[in-house]
Amino acid sequence: MSIRTSDAPAGGAPARAVARGDGVLRRTWIHRADYLYVLPAIVVMLIVIAYPVYYTIDLSFYSTPPSLQLRDKIFIGFDNYKTILESEVFWRVTLNTFIWTIVSTGSAYILGLGCALCLHQAFPGRAVMRAILIIPWVISAVAASYIWKWIYHSNFGVIGAILVELGIMDRQPNFIDNVNTVLASLIVVNVWREFPFAMIMLAAGLQTVPDQLLRAAKVDGAGAWQSFWHVTFPHLRGVSIATILLLAVANFNSFIVTWIMTGGGPSNASHIWITHIYEIAFGRQRWGIAAAYSVILFLIVMSLGYFYVRGLGGAEKEGGGS
Amino acid sequence: MSKDKFGCAVRRGVSMAAIAAALAVWGPASAQAPIDLSKWSPEYVRSIAGTQDYDTAADCGKVTPLDYRGRVTFWYQGAFEGDPDLLRQYYRDFFAEFRKTYPNIQLVDQALTYNDLLDKFRTALLGSAGPMVVRLQILGGVEFASKGYLQELKPEDIGLKTQDFWPGAMKSNTWKGKTYGVPTNNETMALIWNADLFKRAGLDPEKPPETWDDVVRYSKQIKEKTGVAGYGLVARKNAGNTPYRFMPQLWAYGGGAFDEASANPNYSQIEINSAASKRALQASYDMFVRDKSVPVSALTNQQADNQPLFLAGQLAMMISHPSDYDVMQDLKKKATGSDAQTAQNVIDNMRYGLIPKGPDGRRAVVFGGSNMHILKPEYVDGGKVDQPAAKALVCFWTSPEWSLKMAYAGSNPGNLNGFKTKWMKERLENIKFLDVTTSMLPYGVPFPTIPETPEIMNIIVPDMLQNALTGTMTVDQAAEDAAKKIKNVMSGNKL
Repeated sequence: MSIRTSDAPAGGAPARAVARGDGVLRRTWIHRADYLYVLPAIVVMLIVIAYPVYYTIDLSFYSTPPSLQLRDKIFIGFDNYKTILESEVFWRVTLNTFIWTIVSTGSAYILGLGCALCLHQAFPGRAVMRAILIIPWVISAVAASYIWKWIYHSNFGVIGAILVELGIMDRQPNFIDNVNTVLASLIVVNVWREFPFAMIMLAAGLQTVPDQLLRAAKVDGAGAWQSFWHVTFPHLRGVSIATILLLAVANFNSFIVTWIMTGGGPSNASHIWITHIYEIAFGRQRWGIAAAYSVILFLIVMSLGYFYVRGLGGAEKEGGGS
Repeated sequence: MSKDKFGCAVRRGVSMAAIAAALAVWGPASAQAPIDLSKWSPEYVRSIAGTQDYDTAADCGKVTPLDYRGRVTFWYQGAFEGDPDLLRQYYRDFFAEFRKTYPNIQLVDQALTYNDLLDKFRTALLGSAGPMVVRLQILGGVEFASKGYLQELKPEDIGLKTQDFWPGAMKSNTWKGKTYGVPTNNETMALIWNADLFKRAGLDPEKPPETWDDVVRYSKQIKEKTGVAGYGLVARKNAGNTPYRFMPQLWAYGGGAFDEASANPNYSQIEINSAASKRALQASYDMFVRDKSVPVSALTNQQADNQPLFLAGQLAMMISHPSDYDVMQDLKKKATGSDAQTAQNVIDNMRYGLIPKGPDGRRAVVFGGSNMHILKPEYVDGGKVDQPAAKALVCFWTSPEWSLKMAYAGSNPGNLNGFKTKWMKERLENIKFLDVTTSMLPYGVPFPTIPETPEIMNIIVPDMLQNALTGTMTVDQAAEDAAKKIKNVMSGNKL
């Protein structure tokens, strides 16, 4: 049985033709069979990704007043971008978004790492504990948001009732109806929802840490913290980068928790980009402004995506060298 | 308040201001209406109830033959968590009866909540994936008519007369002189209070606050004396409940978004930052910030959140529908032990009264309701509208019988002939406090009939409230900010 290596071009053309650095068209022709194989996927991606992106960018240059249909939109150039950047609310929402993303991502990562390290140790009931800790991640975000809304409720929330009952507070605390506490309260819910994801990723990463290195470190007199910091953590670098970037992208695009629990209020204090875009588009029908807003968000998330890919590449390289 | 006393109060209370407001809702066509609107009072409504019979199948059979074979898709605002079980039953009965009457019409219906319907409908229209028929809240029709999504549709197209409906409701279906829908129901809300809490706070348990300033005062007194929230303020954004409760207050003080509370509004002058509007906003501020006499959760509350608070005896006053009495009964069934006893005590002490007046004696309430519309084929999923099937459905729902039954507990029939049916008579006997809300109808003020109304009412007005109540802005700044936003909405593409 003969085996063809992956370097050999399809279609039977000699490899030296590619090596000579012929034109793109020629190389495409040489690889025509490969392209045919991926063509269905490319067509699907063009329809479900490329066209919506193109349409959103196109729409961002138009005005869409509430009294007109979308097809009657009016070209206004970059005015929508100007409108967004001049809006005070945009900057407030941007600050919220960064606080939301950075704090949620960081907290979920740290909590996930802590849980992963705990679960990496053998103890009775570990499997049960693992299953319990995954629950927040697997239950419906909508259901979780409603439950937390009631837990936080400023009049008959469970947390407040317990605090009052224990005499810690003399009246129900105000979590989500207060501009100063609402974002932090929502971040707690978000972290609760996300940390199991980080835990699973990092727990998988921990499986790759070589035992002999940990034993060697122990023989060399390293304590638990030194072993973790100098042996375990460096091995988790790749999976940590991937986890943090995935969490960050998910948090930039997070919608459900905020929308259900507060709708972005009170007084825009919990609006983040994605909920604000939704409100502008569907509540106010400013499709053009919402599209421009989305383009800005798209560029930022794409930048994160770039770092994600680079991070993965670096991690693979690192993994390959070990 | 006893029924007789209440009737007298209503007769005394219909002042010149009320007549002016009534004209805005009833308009010049009221003289030709099937019932004499100039005689409107609880007694008059009782006197006409049960005086006429209607055969819905026969009437609609003249519009679309009963053996017609076709298909119709339909979206509507259905019952949600704040509605009584009774309403759910009537919805089930309606669809069963329609399918029985028109066995060859395939009806594909989809219920959506009040807050979701507009979003979903707008999105579907962008993709030409709308239903053939939609039942929208009263403030939605003009928006979609102005954009050209709706077919012209007037009561005469389904065998009824324009005069069969409240002129104010017909106005909400009118855009540039053309009619685009038929009203299904129209309603006004009332003030509900807990007489026991009033008594414990040292207030007359049978006397509701006469003015909005009294509401502020009562709310504070109740909070101080009982520790319970006084008034059920609602200020959530993107929720219809907020404007329905705040606009009556705004109008009573003499304010408004525009001049919508006047007899002949033209919506050209923004009034939300007027001195009168600021006084109304100040009243809410005083209750929430200064006196802390309303639920802390007001900023994220909808009316459905106030209902359990009220039933638990933790709220003394709120604005709502007559159906809240049934909702309380439904909720009570779910309570156990001492909670059930508390709930029963609250229900026994539940009272309904007219919505308070402003400082100048003006009383106002949102003239609410819903309308049915037929879409143009190009915006419908599949690109076709089965006209006879669509008209059969609109005819059925807006008939005197179903117009009444579908509004049995929480609203009033859009078709005025519904008041003459035997079911209205039965309803007057079964639905407690119905008199109060029908008595509020003359004070009803329709939302501005302009395409921008949903954004103004669901986003800008709640934003103004939240900005003031959270201290993000002063009352003055919040009102000025809202005026600026309305100006932006009306004039261009600014946020």
